[in-house]
Amino acid sequence: MTHVKALVLTGYGLNCDYETDYSLKLAGAQSHRVHINELIGASRTGSGPALGDFHILVFGGGFSWADDHGAGVVMAAKIRRHLGEEIQRFIEEGRLIIGICNGFQCLVNLGLLPGFDQEYDKRRVALTYNDKGNFIDTWVNLRVEPDSPCVFTRGIETIELPVRHGEGKFYALAPDIARLTENRQIVMRYADREGNPARGRWPLNPNGSLEDIAGICDSTGRVFGLMPHPEAFNHWTNHPDWTRLKAVRNPAGKGFDPHQKGDGIRIFENAVRYVTATFS
Amino acid sequence: MLARLEIRLKKELFDAEGAGIRKKAREYFGFEVEDIRVIRVLTMEVTLDPSRLEQVRTELFTNPVTEESSYSPMARDFDWLTWIGFRPGVRDTAGSTAVEAIEDLLGIRFGPEEAIYTSKLYEIRGNLDARQVETIAGELLANEIIQQWKVYGRDSWDPENGIGFPVPKVILDHSPRVTPIAIGSDQELRRISRERSLALHDSDVPVIREYFLREDVLEERKAVGLSLPTDVELEYISQARSDHCNHNTFRGLFRYRDVATGYEETIDSLFRTCIEQPTLQVKEKKDWVVSVLWDNAGVGRFDDDHYYVITGETHNSPSNMEAYGGAITGIVGIYRDPMGTGKGSKLILGMYGYCVGPRDYGGELRPLLHPRRLLDGVVEGVRDGGNKSGIPTPYGLLLFDESYIGKCLVYVTALGIMPARIGEESSHEKTTSPGDLIIMCGGRVGKDGIHGVTAASESFSEHTPAGHVQIGDPYTQKKMHDFLLEARDEGLIAFITDNGGGGLSSSIGESARFSNGCRVDLDRVPLKYEGLDQWEIWVSESQERMTVAVRPENLDRFMALSEKHAVESTVIGEYNDSGFLRLDYQGKTCAFVRMDLLKSDFPQWEFDAEWTPPELRGLREPVLQEPRDHGALLRGLLGRPNICARNWIARQYDHEVQGGSVVKPLVGKGRDVPSDAAVVRPILESRRGLAVSQALNPWYSRIDTYDMTAATIDEALRKVLAVGGDPAHVAGVDNFCWPTIQYHPEQNPDGKYKAAQLVRSNWALRDICLAFEIPLLSGKDSMYIDGNLAGPYGERRKVSGLPALLFTACSLVDDITLCVTMDAKTPGDLVYVLGDTRNELGGGEYYQMMGAVGLHAPKVTEESFRVRYEALHGVLREGLAASCHAVARGGLAVHLALVAMAGETGMEVDLEAVPGGTSLTTAQTLYSESCGRFILTVPRDNRRAFEEAFAGQPGAFVGEVTAGGRFRITRGDRETVVSEDVMELKSCWKRPFEDLI
Repeated sequence: MTHVKALVLTGYGLNCDYETDYSLKLAGAQSHRVHINELIGASRTGSGPALGDFHILVFGGGFSWADDHGAGVVMAAKIRRHLGEEIQRFIEEGRLIIGICNGFQCLVNLGLLPGFDQEYDKRRVALTYNDKGNFIDTWVNLRVEPDSPCVFTRGIETIELPVRHGEGKFYALAPDIARLTENRQIVMRYADREGNPARGRWPLNPNGSLEDIAGICDSTGRVFGLMPHPEAFNHWTNHPDWTRLKAVRNPAGKGFDPHQKGDGIRIFENAVRYVTATFS
Repeated sequence: MLARLEIRLKKELFDAEGAGIRKKAREYFGFEVEDIRVIRVLTMEVTLDPSRLEQVRTELFTNPVTEESSYSPMARDFDWLTWIGFRPGVRDTAGSTAVEAIEDLLGIRFGPEEAIYTSKLYEIRGNLDARQVETIAGELLANEIIQQWKVYGRDSWDPENGIGFPVPKVILDHSPRVTPIAIGSDQELRRISRERSLALHDSDVPVIREYFLREDVLEERKAVGLSLPTDVELEYISQARSDHCNHNTFRGLFRYRDVATGYEETIDSLFRTCIEQPTLQVKEKKDWVVSVLWDNAGVGRFDDDHYYVITGETHNSPSNMEAYGGAITGIVGIYRDPMGTGKGSKLILGMYGYCVGPRDYGGELRPLLHPRRLLDGVVEGVRDGGNKSGIPTPYGLLLFDESYIGKCLVYVTALGIMPARIGEESSHEKTTSPGDLIIMCGGRVGKDGIHGVTAASESFSEHTPAGHVQIGDPYTQKKMHDFLLEARDEGLIAFITDNGGGGLSSSIGESARFSNGCRVDLDRVPLKYEGLDQWEIWVSESQERMTVAVRPENLDRFMALSEKHAVESTVIGEYNDSGFLRLDYQGKTCAFVRMDLLKSDFPQWEFDAEWTPPELRGLREPVLQEPRDHGALLRGLLGRPNICARNWIARQYDHEVQGGSVVKPLVGKGRDVPSDAAVVRPILESRRGLAVSQALNPWYSRIDTYDMTAATIDEALRKVLAVGGDPAHVAGVDNFCWPTIQYHPEQNPDGKYKAAQLVRSNWALRDICLAFEIPLLSGKDSMYIDGNLAGPYGERRKVSGLPALLFTACSLVDDITLCVTMDAKTPGDLVYVLGDTRNELGGGEYYQMMGAVGLHAPKVTEESFRVRYEALHGVLREGLAASCHAVARGGLAVHLALVAMAGETGMEVDLEAVPGGTSLTTAQTLYSESCGRFILTVPRDNRRAFEEAFAGQPGAFVGEVTAGGRFRITRGDRETVVSEDVMELKSCWKRPFEDLI
């Protein structure tokens, strides 16, 4: 069996690397936290961790370069300049990229998303300031597009995850939104507790995203970006209602598997499963 | 060459920042602004040809989907324009990241004279006059301490040149100079101390003079070319002797006298008798206490392989002047303490506590910043500092009291975690040895924060130098944090400490005590700009810096890691065992001081402490007849500022980052009621957790600070136990904020009373911590919470804040899956109240609502409480309770309602059944704030086991959780005291601040 290898970027103000690394390991991957400069250095000198050694590349959450000039903007410029071609090759070879929160912002600024017709250098969509003008930490309900090509969300219909951002409002021109819709590239939408679309209602849709968009993929389904944080739901006790669910389901508080993973891990498990099936 | 890039959102996009300002303009001043749109400005002082300028514009700074930009003015549709930029020397992080981005994109390096400066231009539309626009600029958008602004009308705007090319560059045009200080007499030195803001304590002056006049000292100084003390040396001594660094107040001699009984006692050091001794005594019994009382933070054992680190402090004075800058500097600064504890720890959690004047303060005094603006700024500062550091902020407190308009209180608390061992060595140990290199990592040194320590040691007045206000930079620090953890894990760090108050002077001065000496080349310290005097380099408090000792053989690897993480590190000297602290500048010695000078006999500070008991101060229980409408009263109570929902703060603080969130700040069905404590799982592979809570009850200080302190510790303890914390493992952190206690007949006529308040508070700290076996892993004191505020007649009035202790409790949770939250879960569950309710409403919320203070403050009866807390822990471990909540301010009425509101269930409670309730009036039972109490809801099936666990204790079944949403309190069968709809209560509780996002 193939060892699925994942690389989680670190450095320059990124900050969800430990839990993302942990989540990938829980999902069965061999995961490594690698500093952006280490990857760039290896690309330049040929020694050190090379992108080609990995199957899954994670652009995780955080505040790269403090997000001072638009979230993910400076990081995208740096990655494009130093690793642009390698990443292009990485995608062509059928490997997986996931961008979470700041990573999603970086992917859209790189143009890896939406990647219409596998054109990976056009900035066509944006993640801009939340309509309420402020950072928000809240759990959201997400409805997954069943016919999306996204390999990360297979078998998931709805999922609850936390969002934590000040710049998560998905914005694009109407023709591009139509194209995303048509291609089933809108992978996740904010919804209510029953799974109905949020229709822009705050805080169900926490940022004012057009069409309640929380995550999109490229046309291959192998590049995926989302604002919510699957790595922050790695254990069932991450869920905001877990003490309630436990008490209501089982008043004696017994019979729960204390090791139960959080639903967020399913997204990483899908990636591992895909790699295992594809690269074996 | 200068270029100015302006960037704005496309017209069709909603400008959220502008909308936020509009909303604040309405809330703050009642101005109706039609529209505000923001233009970001980058002034570039760098030589780039037009094609590269264009590349920078399009590839870096303009999002083609949402933004448009130009090197010409972009303002077009406005009635007014307001430009706001930083003053010279203020930290402009966005400017530096812009430089980084351009350097990388173009593969160039900026020269020393080249830079980027960011500023903002606000397009304002609406029917406003010039004065109103000035108000928006000066009292909402900008703070003149750190920013400058200009207002343009349509007539005064030049559409060709716009704002010109603002370049707030620091140009000092000054040759660094060491100044010898005359010490001819004590008076002369005192005068110089005042003139130079050295803040030398009068009684220290003779000791300092004596040292510099000693024959042997003169001789050894002569050998290095020195005679009179230099300004560098006196600054060093002053910093080291400041109250902030040396805790002279807590180490002082107190002559306590009770004026009622004539009882007298002399206390030689509150620190030693009430903090150090009890903690060492408790440490004997608690093998989990790893390291206390010497390092930047205390260390406790998390499990066999990990230690946790905890500390807390305040950042009051700077926040009071520049709320955002002060608060972000505070939170980012406290994060450096765990980073500098042992060989360094990873930050895992932050907490906050704010005490400010009422948000709607309309009195006649003029605080520097209106409490509303101050609070908004503080909230935002801690938000950016915590979120951008990638550290969860899952807990905090906010309280309003008019006494804090003189000076606000901003508490920040931080926890870290580290492996128990680094290679062969224990992680909590560190030392400097002769030959170790002194390395400064992180930010550069500027004039920032010079005399911050001494300013924090004095009351605020119009003469306080504003230069010590800074803006913390979490980005630079986060990079340094990641770097240092990697260096630590490779065993490269021999010693580490942070540069906070006193800068290098403190960090090197203190770390050199281990090796017994050091030599530093001040000219090797990297500066933000030229022209700093030697003493300024030495004491500057520029942020985001750590001092690290590295053995020479590890230097190359250390520097390689530093480069990988894009962190600046510089060797600036070395430790030795010479017995001297020696500072050189360009080969010339400018300070040469014996290491043991600071250990010599500086006179102890002395205080007269005179206690007048509350009865003699005229306090009485108020005369109140039983209210007829407790339902309306409860609704009113729930809407009071210190009881109501203040959720907008928690929501904008990231409390999930690092992936270990277990109990969140807001819990319950609607996820909107504050939890008693937060719980995190810092080691994701482990099911062990840390529970943290805080309490703050300054109002009881009006009666007796002993009771205030006892009740505060008890509340923090109960909150941490309520979620499942272990009473056998509770670490404490004490953060005192106190008004000036030095008696002065005109300036501080009640100083002796305030000193006695401090003594009594410390006695309670000692007694309660001993009784509950809580070691104080860390603590700090911040004195001088007074302000002299301008009144309407040109006078200044002194306002002293209520003495406050923020107590932090941190406990271990063996298995996080056994944690409980405070919300009622299931209709049919039984409601229990544990602990006696007594006639203890003094200083409480109900009396305050009635305009009274009262006399009977809540008392802590340690021994009986302790048994109860242990029983409670057993019950929670057994999983017998569905919810658990500590009763606090507002009493049973408020807290039963909170349990029901959190569960969005009904509740029926009979007051006759409440332990202790039979001898009290209805109002007393409902609103007493007696300590030691919990409310639990318990599934019916667990009734027998639950009651057995509390046999013989004051605890009783008082009612049940009901379906249907009615909150009903009765007194026996006869009388319905309260019958309210739970959701209606909840909306009363949420209403006051629900517009804040």
